[in-house]
Amino acid sequence: MKQKTLTRISKNFWFYILVLCTIAFVGFPLFWMALSSLKPSVELFKMPPKILPKAPTFEWYTTTFSNAIVVRYFFNSFLIAFSTMLVDVVLATLGAYSLARFKYRGRRFIMMAVLSAYCLPPIMLMIPLYRIIAGMGLNSSYLGVIIGHTTFTFPFCVWLLIPFFRKVPKELEEAALVDGTPSLKIFTAIILPLCVPGILSTGIMAFILSWNEYLLSSVLIISDTMKTLTVGLANYISSVQIDWGEIMALGTATTLPIIIMFSAIQKYFVEGLTAGAVKG
Amino acid sequence: MYSLKQKRNYYTQRQILGIVFIIPTVVFLLVFVAYPVLYNIFLSFTDARLLKQNFSFVAFDNYKKLFTNPRFFKYVKNTLVWTFSSVVGQLTLGFAFALLINKKSAGTGLRSFLLIPYVVPAVAIALVTKWVMNGDYGIVSWWLNRMNIIEYRQSPLALPGSAMATLIIVNVWRSYPFPMLIYWATLKSIDIELYEAAHVDGANAFQTFVHITLPHVKDATIVLAILRIVWTATYFDLIWFITGGGPAGSTTHLPIMIYQASFGTFQLGYASSISMVLGLSLFVCVAFYVKKSVANER
Repeated sequence: MKQKTLTRISKNFWFYILVLCTIAFVGFPLFWMALSSLKPSVELFKMPPKILPKAPTFEWYTTTFSNAIVVRYFFNSFLIAFSTMLVDVVLATLGAYSLARFKYRGRRFIMMAVLSAYCLPPIMLMIPLYRIIAGMGLNSSYLGVIIGHTTFTFPFCVWLLIPFFRKVPKELEEAALVDGTPSLKIFTAIILPLCVPGILSTGIMAFILSWNEYLLSSVLIISDTMKTLTVGLANYISSVQIDWGEIMALGTATTLPIIIMFSAIQKYFVEGLTAGAVKG
Repeated sequence: MYSLKQKRNYYTQRQILGIVFIIPTVVFLLVFVAYPVLYNIFLSFTDARLLKQNFSFVAFDNYKKLFTNPRFFKYVKNTLVWTFSSVVGQLTLGFAFALLINKKSAGTGLRSFLLIPYVVPAVAIALVTKWVMNGDYGIVSWWLNRMNIIEYRQSPLALPGSAMATLIIVNVWRSYPFPMLIYWATLKSIDIELYEAAHVDGANAFQTFVHITLPHVKDATIVLAILRIVWTATYFDLIWFITGGGPAGSTTHLPIMIYQASFGTFQLGYASSISMVLGLSLFVCVAFYVKKSVANER
């Protein structure tokens, strides 16, 4: 048995070397951030640097999180990302189901509009959105940022959800229709339960996009207490005196929940994205 | 069982549901996407400023000012270098990784791992980059110095040429997962029998790669290149965090120029005209992509 594994490894020797190099290349920045956040000052500023911390410490985490504004940034980011996710999921579920399963005039055009909106980058929307949202008196409010984040996450969600609705067998709907089930009930009782994984993973992607967003948040929020994590972090890294230990801790704390969430749903995300893409 | 009338009733009821469901999408797109785009076009012909409510119509003044600004052309060149190199890099790396995860010996664990950069916040990547490239304490700066590439206690981010090169490498690192996924899905869709037949005919690995694999990923490459050109040319965060457009404007591309004009010097009208020029140059790409993607919709 052991012999077998050994021959398998030796047969694929170069393949495994390649995989190791790949993992090192892809993982290096993330591992380095996490490892740096655990090093005490002496090790952090030692040249040449050692890879593993000799005396790992959580002191950077405790100092960072004892700062009330940092906790507030987390709260703001969470609130905005969560609300964006809710808005996206509700609207995109309805829209994607309609685009996936109904035939009416203008449907193709709406699909093109959704896809064009998906291609529209935040930098192009920044100026007009700023004026529109400020004109509504919503700048530096959560609602303003949520609207901003919805502009680019919503088309993405619709596009990602369409293949999930398409995958539900048409016969299921037709059978229920013949039985005299009202259309709304078909949607809530048959379609929705089957699409829960797709809807959930799309929602989480919206959450991640909103959590990571910087540009719109930075122009729509002025007061410090309303800032999101990315805006707060960006201010720290552009300051003259950077507290590297604390910033590595904060960076790790910002990234880790996202990686965990993504790992949980990536199977469905891959499914949805590749289904949409292969078609295109 | 049912009368014709009842059947027709069900049908209309269903149609109405489909229309009702699409209304929020349409309203949202009109109010928060279409209207802003039109508003941007309008603003580009005005002298609107950030903190002033009233403004006047100035026709093509903003565009004239833009096209007579020598720095604009330098930034266009930066945008082209940034976009072209990043897209070629991420497509190449994405394809290489797709070949890797498509191997039987590669588990799903490797695929999941390689997808991670897709969701890492740009700000986190930026802070690691600044840390490892730090002139005094950065591990990469130190390595580069040991390899005699840069001087002692120097950061690659401090020099114009190497700053752009560094940004491109970092951008390739964070953006290869999307091409990787699409390439992987394309590779999986190639009929295995093609390879078997080629093998029977005595083709070697290189020949099957050139004559079977490459032709099959051609379409995916075109679509990916178009999509990534649009996203890379308009991608703001990474450059802004790491160099802010410096040193000496050597990494300023059009999105940074738009940001500086609007929220740096408050000239909203002028900034809108830059974003119009950028948007119109990319419009062809978007139109092609959208048409291609919706083409097989009945």
